[in-house]
Amino acid sequence: MDEAAIILDDVDLSLGRGAARVHILKQISITIKRGAAIGLTGPSGSGKSTLLMAMAGLERPDSGRIEIDATDLKALDEDALARFRGARIGIVFQSFHLIPTMTALENVAIPLELAGIEAAFARAAAELSAVGLEGRLGHYPAELSGGEQQRVALARALAPNPAILLADEPTGNLDEEAGAGVIDVIFALKRARGTTLVLVTHDAALAARCDRVIALRSGRIETADQPLVAEILVKGACR
Amino acid sequence: MSIAPAPHPMSPRLTGLPLALRLALRDFRGGFSGFWIFLACLTLGLAAITGVGSVSRSLADGLMQKGRIILGGDLSFELVQREASAQELNFLAAQGRLSQIALMRAMARRADGQAALVEIKAVDAAYPAQGTLSLAPAQKLASVLAERDGVYGVAADPTLTARLDFHQGEEFKIGEQRFELRAILLSEPDKLAGAIGFGPRVLMSQSALRATGLLQPGALVKWLYRLSLLPGEQVDSVAAAARAAFPAAGFEIRTWKNVSPQFSRDLERFSQFLTLVGLSSLLIGGVGVANAVAGFVERKRETIATLKALGAPGGFVFMVMLAEVLAMAGIAMAAGVALGAALPFALEAAFGALIPFPLASSIFPREIAAGLLYGALTALAFSLAPLGRAHDVPVSALFRDEVAPAHVRPRRRYVIMLLAAACCLVLSVVMLAADRWLALIYLAAAIGGFVLLRAAAALIMAAARKFPHARHIELRLAIGNLHRPGALTPSILVSLGLGLALIVALAMIDGNLHHAFDRPRSEETPSYFFLGVASAEEQDFRSFLARHEPGAKLELVPMLRGRFVTIKGRPVDTLKVKDDVAWALEGDRGITFSATIPPGSTLAAGDWWHADYSGPPLVSLESEVADGLGLKPGDDITVNVLGRNITARVANLRKVDWRNLGINFVLVFSPNSFAGAPYSDLVTLTLATEAGPDAALVRDVAKAFPNVVSLRVKDALDAVKDIIDKLALAVRGAASIALFAATLVLGGALAAAQRSRLYDVVVLKTLGATRRRLVAAFLCEFGLIGMAAALFGVLVGGAAALAVVRSVMKLDFVWLWPQALAAAGAAFLAAVLLGLLGTWRILGQKPARYLRNL
Repeated sequence: MDEAAIILDDVDLSLGRGAARVHILKQISITIKRGAAIGLTGPSGSGKSTLLMAMAGLERPDSGRIEIDATDLKALDEDALARFRGARIGIVFQSFHLIPTMTALENVAIPLELAGIEAAFARAAAELSAVGLEGRLGHYPAELSGGEQQRVALARALAPNPAILLADEPTGNLDEEAGAGVIDVIFALKRARGTTLVLVTHDAALAARCDRVIALRSGRIETADQPLVAEILVKGACR
Repeated sequence: MSIAPAPHPMSPRLTGLPLALRLALRDFRGGFSGFWIFLACLTLGLAAITGVGSVSRSLADGLMQKGRIILGGDLSFELVQREASAQELNFLAAQGRLSQIALMRAMARRADGQAALVEIKAVDAAYPAQGTLSLAPAQKLASVLAERDGVYGVAADPTLTARLDFHQGEEFKIGEQRFELRAILLSEPDKLAGAIGFGPRVLMSQSALRATGLLQPGALVKWLYRLSLLPGEQVDSVAAAARAAFPAAGFEIRTWKNVSPQFSRDLERFSQFLTLVGLSSLLIGGVGVANAVAGFVERKRETIATLKALGAPGGFVFMVMLAEVLAMAGIAMAAGVALGAALPFALEAAFGALIPFPLASSIFPREIAAGLLYGALTALAFSLAPLGRAHDVPVSALFRDEVAPAHVRPRRRYVIMLLAAACCLVLSVVMLAADRWLALIYLAAAIGGFVLLRAAAALIMAAARKFPHARHIELRLAIGNLHRPGALTPSILVSLGLGLALIVALAMIDGNLHHAFDRPRSEETPSYFFLGVASAEEQDFRSFLARHEPGAKLELVPMLRGRFVTIKGRPVDTLKVKDDVAWALEGDRGITFSATIPPGSTLAAGDWWHADYSGPPLVSLESEVADGLGLKPGDDITVNVLGRNITARVANLRKVDWRNLGINFVLVFSPNSFAGAPYSDLVTLTLATEAGPDAALVRDVAKAFPNVVSLRVKDALDAVKDIIDKLALAVRGAASIALFAATLVLGGALAAAQRSRLYDVVVLKTLGATRRRLVAAFLCEFGLIGMAAALFGVLVGGAAALAVVRSVMKLDFVWLWPQALAAAGAAFLAAVLLGLLGTWRILGQKPARYLRNL
């Protein structure tokens, strides 16, 4: 378990075109070891979500290298990236993004079906059971509470057993109790499966539950609470 | 928690079609919401094109299947102004069962002096040789027509009793013979074979006709000899044998396969027009499909992005969306094709009694297959561009709102697919159309229209971008909306422009149809035609009219009937001539002779003959007909008149102004050509004021000259106008499908516009914008787009109307600007009001509810 799950080397990333182009990520270098839990914090517009998207291969950097689970993302074309994401990366969104016309079971089964797994529904049912929703398999998103919807989203993200779980403010749309429940499940499953977790949050208490915290400001890494330890290597902050 | 590891990420099964179909099916659980316009547009378009094809086929098949009934036999031999000789009759009788009919116009006079023009059909005992006759009260025809105490019976069209107040059992006279109205003629199987009737049909026996004394030499009577062949005989060989045996007889021979070339041509033109309507509906339906699919992809952005976030490649997402669209298209195709295939049956059930043509309603597999092909290709051609964009919906949309919706071009593979589908659609439309050339021209014009509208949209957007900063916020908002990223200018301009063009075209076609037959009577237009004034009573008739209507303008012209036999030595049935003059070679034409150039004509080529010319026969031809037949001065033509072939040299060509309805003939011979031949005069009488409907003149002429037929010009024009009105009604009925489709497309485009405005409206309202200001901005934006669309609509719609009126309907075209502008203006206002209605509803919403979801 020594090797790095995520490597970002000198990553620069801009969005928009022409005069509207904004330089968002500046010289970001991070190495995250397999199985670590990283909290990503920072004020609005600091680049947290963009960094998460870059890790998921959803935004391509202007320069620098991104290596996820020993695969250089630059080498993958659009379709290969999608397949790679489906198998190795799970994403949990702040707004859940469940497909409203599918039941909880079908929502969780989609990534498995996309990966061509025969027993997709059996595995999806097991995943839902793992997040405590064994009695809600046939419910549509509109019939579930916010906390339950986010658990379905979590089960969906973890269903293909990805090496990496990226969570973008997973409790942002939930009340405190529901949020705490979801976080407990995330950490429990992460531990059980050895998944690498990158968690974007504004909540200091939640960030504190992670192994390490990276704070971003204006697209640069501002602080890392235990810099240059084995799990985290911050080059950009040292320059 | 023992979860098995996932297989290798690059599984080849990932993009499998079954999974795409499964996901598409799951997505339908959300209902068809948002697909209604798609379904309606495609269904309507297909119903129109399949319906048009099926109705055209029903008409053509009806004519073919009922050809024998309409013709009254397998073959018909027509003679004008003379009966067949004994030799000719013997020849015909030897070929099969012969039935003989005489047709002529005459005046029916009641005892009180009331007179009415009637269309006589004098039949023999064999009538009807084909089909059945329907009489009220039902009885044997022979007993109706029989003579009783010197009075012959007749069966007459109901209009004789309804409009002319003749009662059943009432006695009246035709010529010198007394008749009794014994039955009402409800239907006659061979009605379609006749020309436009100016009076009610009166069925009588041939002995009754002979008893009227109307069959004088030169009388305008047609004799039809109908043959039902013996088994094994072929119509073509019998026709050829008759021509060979009697080359100078002047027979007009028709077979059941070609009952009426003129009617077939009219039918073809009507089918052409229907094809244009069908194609317009399909095209406009296609625009609706494109708008609806663009809206569908827009609404599904989150689902698309989610699928992509979960590992679905863009191509797979495209497949899922395509499967949904094709499933919807399948429903629309089934519904549209079913509706279209049912159209002939529905027409027959609803209007069967009113349609004067035989309609052989049936299910036509070819038309259905064509409809399904059109449906699939239209759905593909118009949805591939917006579907292709689904490939590149960014997953980043799930993390944050997009600053500006990226309007990316579809990838090359989708553009190639789109072009392939469009080419296949064009190719199938052209290959399957009844008139390929017309379909090709139409498609070229439609593609040109699209390109023009897209170019106009680009121009408007570019101009809006460069427009100086407006002082009024409403104008500023409107101009911003015109060119901002994701602006709806192109889609609204295309939808509105095409809709307006269609509406303007239909208004102009309708207006031109009426204009052609509704023009006010000019001072030169005659008030009456009098037919069959025998040359011997010419002077008496002249004096009678001079006494009765002093001051009225009188014109007498000798008239004979004849038909072309050869042109430049070649028999006319071997000639291929232009469609617009083919009528001149079919059936008999009015012929006259004159020492001087007739009034209303001017010489276009050659010289007029000397007043006392006495050489070989010369003829003057109307220049357009001469041109169509390839004739010029110096060429020879042979015309059969009264059973004689007369060969004449073309001396000159005339330009004729037909519009004043005065007497004018295509063929005017030198006076010596018909020396000694019996003829009657055609007389026109022009009164200073319009003749009233119950003019005493008709009554008095009928009394004094029983052989003379009086025709009030207004009645004749009304009879034509009646047909035109029916045609206009059919045109409107057919066009209403296209109009409905256009309205749906407009509604869809406006609904899409409103959905996209919802965000702006909510934000602007939150910032303090009043409804009045927002409506003003909306009006400015739509006003600008609408004006461009109206300009396009008037110009392109006018050009389309010009093409249809001139090329399909063969009428003169007049630019009816007030109608065009009014149609464009009304349609534009309706569209804006419709949009405003929806916008007003949005403006009434509480922002908080939406802000939570934005």
